[in-house]
Amino acid sequence: MVKYTESEIIVANAAKEICDGDIVVIGQGIPMAAGVLAKATHAPNCIILTEAGLVDIRPFRNPLHIADPTCTRGYTYSCDMIDIFATIVNRGLVDVTFLGVGQIDRYGNMNSTVFGDYDQFRMRMMGAGGAPEFFGYARKAVLTMRGGKFVERVDYVSSPGYLDGHGARERAGFPPGSGPKVVYSPRGVFRFDEESGEIYLHGVFPGHTVEEIKKEVPWDLRVADEVVELPPPTREEVELIREFAPEISAGRRLQLELSVPRIMEIISGKGI
Amino acid sequence: MLEKYMEKDKRMTAREAVERFVHDGDSLVIANCLYATPYALLHEIIRQGRKGLTVFQQGGIDELDQLILGGCVKTLAMAYNFRVAGERIQTVLERALRRGEIEIEDYSNYTLLTMLQAGAMGYPFLPVMSGIRETDVYRVERAFRGQKFGEVTCPFTGEKVVVVRGRNPDVAVLHVQRADKFGNAQLWGALINSKWACLASKRVIISCEQVVDEDTIMRTPHLTLVPGFRVCAVVEEPWGAHPSELLGFYDYDMVFRSLFFMQTMSEEGARAWMEEWVYGVRDRQEYLQHYADRFGLRFLQELRAKPYPSIPADYGSTGRGAWDEKDMSFNFQMNREEFLAALEEKGGFVDG
Repeated sequence: MVKYTESEIIVANAAKEICDGDIVVIGQGIPMAAGVLAKATHAPNCIILTEAGLVDIRPFRNPLHIADPTCTRGYTYSCDMIDIFATIVNRGLVDVTFLGVGQIDRYGNMNSTVFGDYDQFRMRMMGAGGAPEFFGYARKAVLTMRGGKFVERVDYVSSPGYLDGHGARERAGFPPGSGPKVVYSPRGVFRFDEESGEIYLHGVFPGHTVEEIKKEVPWDLRVADEVVELPPPTREEVELIREFAPEISAGRRLQLELSVPRIMEIISGKGI
Repeated sequence: MLEKYMEKDKRMTAREAVERFVHDGDSLVIANCLYATPYALLHEIIRQGRKGLTVFQQGGIDELDQLILGGCVKTLAMAYNFRVAGERIQTVLERALRRGEIEIEDYSNYTLLTMLQAGAMGYPFLPVMSGIRETDVYRVERAFRGQKFGEVTCPFTGEKVVVVRGRNPDVAVLHVQRADKFGNAQLWGALINSKWACLASKRVIISCEQVVDEDTIMRTPHLTLVPGFRVCAVVEEPWGAHPSELLGFYDYDMVFRSLFFMQTMSEEGARAWMEEWVYGVRDRQEYLQHYADRFGLRFLQELRAKPYPSIPADYGSTGRGAWDEKDMSFNFQMNREEFLAALEEKGGFVDG
């Protein structure tokens, strides 16, 4: 069996959420790696777009951000952010959106703005960005979680999940059937109850247990009647991820550890 | 009335452009987002010590932090600002907010840009996707309290629609690949917010890698994002978006950006960075010279883009004018002489 990292098993499984022919909105990091893996394997005809106005991108390396030169070599429609949101997202054309989780609550509401009180915050995250509309209007939202937190109630609702649950999302006028469908953490995968909108543990990754995952959730997490064991990534998947996004394979900490010496050398004036 | 800028030649230095067109208390929009960030112009704004700006920030990496460190920002309308540091480390934005130096208003990408789109079109407001109502982006108001979102009833369907107010910033700063001296500005690659940010604003300052002749623009009008009559200054500034990227010219400079993030984790480090890279140089040329002295020119050269040229769009047609080379008419079965005779006879000339 192939050895793999936490990020790699998330990417490999999340990629399977994309079907061939889907229109997919993706942000940088693990989501992009999953999108590119899907396109390289089972979903060659999916169209990946970013809110930067880039449609049908084929990045040749994992991008630093959603508008960088790895995204802009050979895309088929150059438009702008208004075009993306108004003419694609608002028209219900987005099948899947992938987003990273900062903070998420029982009903899949997400916070990417601020931890703690809004004014006396503990930390400011990057901000809502495109997430509120993607989350609100894509047919399905897939969430990936590395370093994010489960909380009973998010400190700030940047993106609407199932709100207070039990049909609140539909009553608020979001497209029927839309919303967060799945969360991939390094230990397992969560889905949402169709009636209540409440998150539950659906499956665990090899080597992890239900008890371990329940401890990370500050309420009595519901668990599927039959928890599935999710497959490890295949050799082909791992190789593709390392080919395209080795820094995603490495994860943030190792990535930093490996890149700092070169940066320090250049900064100290020794040149390259 | 929106001012037109009809001077034939608007070329000037960044210093002159900022002196003339950016004032204390202005509202400013950074008209590139993530890509092609107009650092040369922003650094000049900081060097000239502009204060009390209201900044519309679509999404950026570190340029907003630099404006804040320069003491330029009073009010901030923001959708996204990159962050590398974990919870234990204070970012520049966090320090400024905690000290109460700036007021903030959080938007989503779409709602922020729609304010500028409405402004660009001259409308008082425009609808946004109403689901924003269910978020704290809608509910929590600070700097734009009472003016952040509104709701109207659609006169046709009776549906309640969330709207944002049209905004017309005083000044937009945009970096592009090329422009002519009149200001026709051509940008390609990720277009994101650039068009709406510029067209919404009263004054547009363009920096570009190259000033090109009018013929180049006339043969590629599909690349013109901002028409010259809306532009008040054209600044030729090679590497004007470093350390961000510009297609056809250079990639982003990851190492230089890392330097910023490492230094700005502390107050003193941040001041030292600003001293070295903004206040310590007079202009972009000195910045580049300092970069070359410090890291070696070779490192900058490594960022240079390799060509991946667009295939030219052929604007060709038969090119036939009203009269061909034999003086035959395009529209009538006659030559010029016969036409003038017909005009003489039946043209219904006005008497006198």
